[in-house]
Amino acid sequence: MPLFRWGLALAGNSGRSGGSAAALATVTSLPNLDERALVSEAQGGNRAAFEELVRRYDRDVLRLALNLMKRPEDARDVYQEAFLKVYRNLHRFRFECSFYTWLYRIVTNVCLDHLRRRQARPEDQAPEIHPNRMEEGPRDFFDYQKEHRPTLDPERTLIGKEIQWRISRAMERLSPRERVVFEMKHYQGLKLRAIGDALGTTEETVKNSLFRATRKLRNELAGLR
Amino acid sequence: MNGEFKLTRCEDVAPLLVFYACDELTAEEREQILAHLAICQECRTQLSEEDALQTAIERMPQAADQFESSGVLLAQCRSELSESLDELSAPKVDEGWQPFSWMRRWMALRPGWSAVALLLVGAIVGTQAYTWLPIETRNGSGPGLKVLADSTLTKDQLESMQVAGINSSRSTGKIQIQLNAEQPMTLSSDENDADVRRVLTFVITNGDRFNAGVRLDCVEALRAAANNEQARNALLAAARGDENPAVRLRALDALRDLASMPAVRDTLLETLQHDSNPGVRVEAINLLVRALESGSEMPEMAPEAPDSDVPAPDAAPQGWPGSSRESEQRILRALDELRQHDSNRYVRLRSAAALRQIAQQDMQ
Repeated sequence: MPLFRWGLALAGNSGRSGGSAAALATVTSLPNLDERALVSEAQGGNRAAFEELVRRYDRDVLRLALNLMKRPEDARDVYQEAFLKVYRNLHRFRFECSFYTWLYRIVTNVCLDHLRRRQARPEDQAPEIHPNRMEEGPRDFFDYQKEHRPTLDPERTLIGKEIQWRISRAMERLSPRERVVFEMKHYQGLKLRAIGDALGTTEETVKNSLFRATRKLRNELAGLR
Repeated sequence: MNGEFKLTRCEDVAPLLVFYACDELTAEEREQILAHLAICQECRTQLSEEDALQTAIERMPQAADQFESSGVLLAQCRSELSESLDELSAPKVDEGWQPFSWMRRWMALRPGWSAVALLLVGAIVGTQAYTWLPIETRNGSGPGLKVLADSTLTKDQLESMQVAGINSSRSTGKIQIQLNAEQPMTLSSDENDADVRRVLTFVITNGDRFNAGVRLDCVEALRAAANNEQARNALLAAARGDENPAVRLRALDALRDLASMPAVRDTLLETLQHDSNPGVRVEAINLLVRALESGSEMPEMAPEAPDSDVPAPDAAPQGWPGSSRESEQRILRALDELRQHDSNRYVRLRSAAALRQIAQQDMQ
């Protein structure tokens, strides 16, 4: 490499290390910042602040994506797409809601897009995992729920697996929006109002979606009669 | 919920049981439903079923637990996101506007087809472009400034050259000169070409170095350029001083349309009085009489060459009749002198005839 190129390379490295030192100093204080300050920092172009925001929420985002998409590769795509959208549009965030709500709105929209695309292409459906299925009996699903210690009874253990499989299958038959609402309610533990905020809709609409989803699950499980 | 509305009927309570089970009702709704459940076995059964469903849902193994128990996927996602952010943050390479970049890419990938396409384009432009030009431009007859190249011949080349041959066509105006110099060359152009004109005038003004035939050809070639000062001066020099009478005679003939110009007239007079060749003197008489005959109005000048560096306005003829009565008297005296004393009988006779001709014209 010519001498002047070495000089340039060294200058570039020294500049980078200087930047890293400054970033390091910032990073040490970033975890102590509240959400609003972090977002403001990130909006000002502080990459470390944005990455801190990502670390605060990305476990929940990935969990939501995994539970909805059921496939790690799809969940990874959702994660990438969602956070890159957040990064590109962060300057538009006006603190009219919490960052968490805004983030979830983006994540759920990305998930909905993926689910709808998948629904439009049935050949892309994830292969269904069939647990050790037993022959369907004529008994009512709800009768099985009376025994709260299924492990004590091998038969009830098998029936419990069957119930789980039925619920999984029923979940796959929900509409993308019903599925997201159901997931956010039961597995993310969000209240319906928060789900409405995340989806950009009213609590009443979310209530209707949850009601329809629950009915579909009940109907599916009623087949155990 | 409207405070006046009471949840007392099963059809009102049943749809809310799912929300009762997942704790999404207001305190007031819960209170009313509890009151109804206390008296309604059917709704209690339905609520237990909703509870059982909730329990089953909560017991469901989660995909997140299955795929992300080790944290590897999260680390992978973070790493990929970091790389994507690096790409987004990197300054874009500004390639600027690149016209026809698609064509260059296409051509780079298909060299064979590109060669064929370029040949076709070249052939079409070469054969068709001439027809697309405006007619005036094609004919060269339209108004426009003709810019001539400077001479490229050096003085040394001129002084060492030998003219092997000159071909000129009066109809086309094309002149071809073959030169024997250190490096033989052929000039092929018209009289307006700087090199051609320079060679021709050099030959005439340095007549002792070239044979009469070459000089004669040069005079003939310069005839069309007589309006150009350089060419005209060379012709005047040939008419006055060339040792060969045929060359002098041809030079006078080349200047016949310019007899009204003072310089030409003076040369004609000088030739008339001093040229040793009777034929040349007779030609001078003829040109002067012709000029006088047509000189009641100013003889028309041949159109000036567009590139003409002269004639300057002050060099233009002032008009034959009014230019100088003295000049006319000089011509008459010279003719009378020839009529009486010229050694050649034909010259004396021609001079006498010219004087009669002029007299008759004056009487008319």
